Amino acid sequence: MGTAAQGEARSRAWRLWITSGPGLFWIVLFLLIPSGVMLGIAFFTNSDFGSPVLPLSLDSFSQVAGYGILGWSGANFTVLLRSLLQAGVATSVTILLAYPLVFFIVTRPASLRPVLLLFAIVPSWTNQVVRTYAWMELLNPFAPVSHVAQVLGIIPPHLGLMPGNFAVLVGLSYNYLPYMVVPLYAAAEKLDWTLVEAGRDLYASGARLFFNTVFPQTLPGLLSGIILVGIPAFGDYVVPQLLGGDKAMMLGSLIADQFTFSPDWPYGAALTLIMLVFTCIGLIVFRRLTQRLGGGEGAML
Amino acid sequence: MMPGAVMMPAGPEKVTAARGAISLSHITRIFAGSIPAVDHIDLEIQAGEFFTLLGPSGCGKTTLLRMIAGFETPDEGRIVISGREMQDVPAHQRAVNTVFQSYALFPHLNVEQNIGFGLRMRGVRKPERKKRVDAMMELLQIGPFAARNAGQLSGGQRQRVALARALVNEPEVVLLDEPLSALDAKLRAELQIELLRMQKRLGMTFIFVTHDQHEALVMSDRIGVMSNGRLQQVGPVLDVYEKPRNVFVAEFLGLSNIWAIEPLGGGMAAAPIGVLKIAAVIGVARMAMIRPEKIWIYNDTHAPQGRENVFPGTVREAIYMGASTQYRIELGGGGFILALDTNNQAAERSWRPGEAVAVELKPENIMLVEA
Amino acid sequence: MNAVPRRIRRVLAGISLPVYLLLYAPLSVIAIFSFAPSLGHPGPNLAAYGMLLNDPEVLAALRRSLTLAIGSAVLGTMLGTLMGFGLSRFRPAKGGGFWVGTLPSLIIYLPIIMPSLVFGISELIFFNFVHEYTGLLSAGLLTMGIAHVTFQAPYVALVVYARLAGLDPNLFEASQDLYANAVKSFVFLTIPVVRPALIGGFLLAITLSIDDFTISFFTAGPGSVTLPIYIYSAIARKGSSPEINALGSLMIATVIGVALLYYFVTRHRERSTRIPAVA
Repeated sequence: MGTAAQGEARSRAWRLWITSGPGLFWIVLFLLIPSGVMLGIAFFTNSDFGSPVLPLSLDSFSQVAGYGILGWSGANFTVLLRSLLQAGVATSVTILLAYPLVFFIVTRPASLRPVLLLFAIVPSWTNQVVRTYAWMELLNPFAPVSHVAQVLGIIPPHLGLMPGNFAVLVGLSYNYLPYMVVPLYAAAEKLDWTLVEAGRDLYASGARLFFNTVFPQTLPGLLSGIILVGIPAFGDYVVPQLLGGDKAMMLGSLIADQFTFSPDWPYGAALTLIMLVFTCIGLIVFRRLTQRLGGGEGAML
Repeated sequence: MMPGAVMMPAGPEKVTAARGAISLSHITRIFAGSIPAVDHIDLEIQAGEFFTLLGPSGCGKTTLLRMIAGFETPDEGRIVISGREMQDVPAHQRAVNTVFQSYALFPHLNVEQNIGFGLRMRGVRKPERKKRVDAMMELLQIGPFAARNAGQLSGGQRQRVALARALVNEPEVVLLDEPLSALDAKLRAELQIELLRMQKRLGMTFIFVTHDQHEALVMSDRIGVMSNGRLQQVGPVLDVYEKPRNVFVAEFLGLSNIWAIEPLGGGMAAAPIGVLKIAAVIGVARMAMIRPEKIWIYNDTHAPQGRENVFPGTVREAIYMGASTQYRIELGGGGFILALDTNNQAAERSWRPGEAVAVELKPENIMLVEA
Repeated sequence: MNAVPRRIRRVLAGISLPVYLLLYAPLSVIAIFSFAPSLGHPGPNLAAYGMLLNDPEVLAALRRSLTLAIGSAVLGTMLGTLMGFGLSRFRPAKGGGFWVGTLPSLIIYLPIIMPSLVFGISELIFFNFVHEYTGLLSAGLLTMGIAHVTFQAPYVALVVYARLAGLDPNLFEASQDLYANAVKSFVFLTIPVVRPALIGGFLLAITLSIDDFTISFFTAGPGSVTLPIYIYSAIARKGSSPEINALGSLMIATVIGVALLYYFVTRHRERSTRIPAVA
């Protein structure tokens, strides 16, 4: 027997589990447990058929580090570094494109803004394979764009802009641009313009005005955008698979290969663990930054 | 008990209690681990009474109201409405309706549907429902915006709709949680009168929660002043104002001059401003209080001779407030006193800061209060 | 907005208009190429579309995609709505400790933040094990559907939660006060007020399902080739073709059409500028 307030809290908790329980249980059963199983597999030994068998070992991790039957190779490090680099550059590209776009939208009349935002987002509603395939059509060696590049001497004749790192970068930036636009827009729409007016007398140049008045206010949106773009770009599978080649391989393809073409589940699971570690680091760092800046998360759970 | 059935007439077991009478005994409510929000409240409210719970925010008045409505359960004590014990009666079965501070109008329904919601939930058929909703809308002059959505109404209109939505169910008790606090002063005054008229006309019991002492004075038959989860004083408005029981009530309700006193015998007591003659029996009382409007001010040359409690002083501050002027007067013996003088023709004159005056505190106007 | 000088607004427009062009250029290219001349069809023509509509494989894939999208969206919306409703109504206002306060949020965000590839492969392994030991859940539309529900439900929950969080909490007490029991309150208050979020959530769930490739790819079986998987394997097999262009164009047109339709239908109901979700 506690107080009535405690009783009410208990009955609320009970209703919480009745309503939210089934969905939460579903996610635990079909995602939390499976991902746990997968990470566990990293500590098993690989069988001849690629499936995990006992004994427990750390072999898969030495494989990840580059040690194989042929001695040490830096290939995995190259793939990891390339994935980080591509994700970082793609995120920067989306930031550079999203800022002008978002401020273009918020400086339009209020009635036009939702439509303009919608037009920036609609392409993201089409299937990722179709979107990426569209860039294959645009960048392949026979497409006009590649032709122009050949004539200008940017790329050697008879080669296209794809497959390769450049095409992957374009594909990633294109795919995830809306993920930067939306949180930035949410921040820019709430912008307190009186601060900008107040700062007008204080700061000499437009750039300083921007970085001292506008930029800090959009920072929470920017940080959310970086998480929303950087993390999926880092782990992307479709874009490097279709637009990259062997020389543009990213971590996603390397992992997927261990479960499809040349099965080696423990090795694949160990690579996945690495991917998750980097994902979590990114997530934690940016969440901390957001919290420290007191970023409002709006109607987030 | 049939689900959804509402006890409109009092249960057969208690025919003695009038419909709409409320009896609270020992009501206590504790929020997780902290001090009680409502602490052993005993209160009887008569049927058809306009009762106001007055107190500063956080004093527990809203929690008490929510327990009467059935949104929260008391840890201790009994709530009896119309003679019926409410212990196991959930909110939706109580013949009690609430007007919320935020109005809480349903955003997906128009005004008419909002008002008819309670009748609909109780299974009142459409023709009957329409008749009652229409009658209520006419009574409150809501008709012109019956088809509008809640979002399209002004503050005053929302307030009317929220009131209509409660009244149309003909509840035994209507609970009002600071329903006028979001309105501007003029509209507020209008609606105070309208609310009062409506209550007298329909004869329902109203329990009105407010932190505004002026509102409480204007509207109530009786008020209960609350602080720290306890009822400090309950009584008719006049009694509570004129004879506050303690310092909290005196200070919360209106302006006051309060002094610690030392009894000297013979109806005399020593106060910081000098020796006071007090008509009431002093007994063990150690605090005395006088309302500013009960203080007479004279030109120093016209000061009454040979009377008790006349002190010379100097006006230090005069605040003109239209119908009256409020003076802060520094007394000769040290200390300040607050006095209020009406600006009618009978008033001798008004005074400016720096003028020498005399004040008289009539012994029968000095009240003894608890600390 | 007068804080931004005209000159800067021109620069913003000068950058933004090409960005808009860039957003639609690849999609338009597919559409243009779908009319391209091919063997036996000189000049712009609709031959690719004709072939598409007579290809039983494509039609079967379309049927599977629709079945998967609608089936998973129905379940995902139900689970998601209950989660969003429960978390907004029954979670203590502050704190609630780890089990009630923090854990549910962590679980809900898990499918949203987890890279699709990790998501897909985890499911692949899990379903494999379950099938190996119980004989249940062989890879196919069912396993794909389970996976889709897993990522749809959290998004729907967020949409519904956002809607309910913006409401006056007294509304629910007002309904109780006006004689509605828990069931009546849910039917006559909660459902109607969350209806826009419900419809939006359902359409979002369908969009998410149609948009997804990676997770579908790893949970699909030999008999459950859906449109994205069909396109992917066709590209892998023979590169681009007018038929694939035609199929891609139709998919793009459908999504844009549905999106615009939904937007303009709901726009009049909700005045406030809503921020559409990214899928």
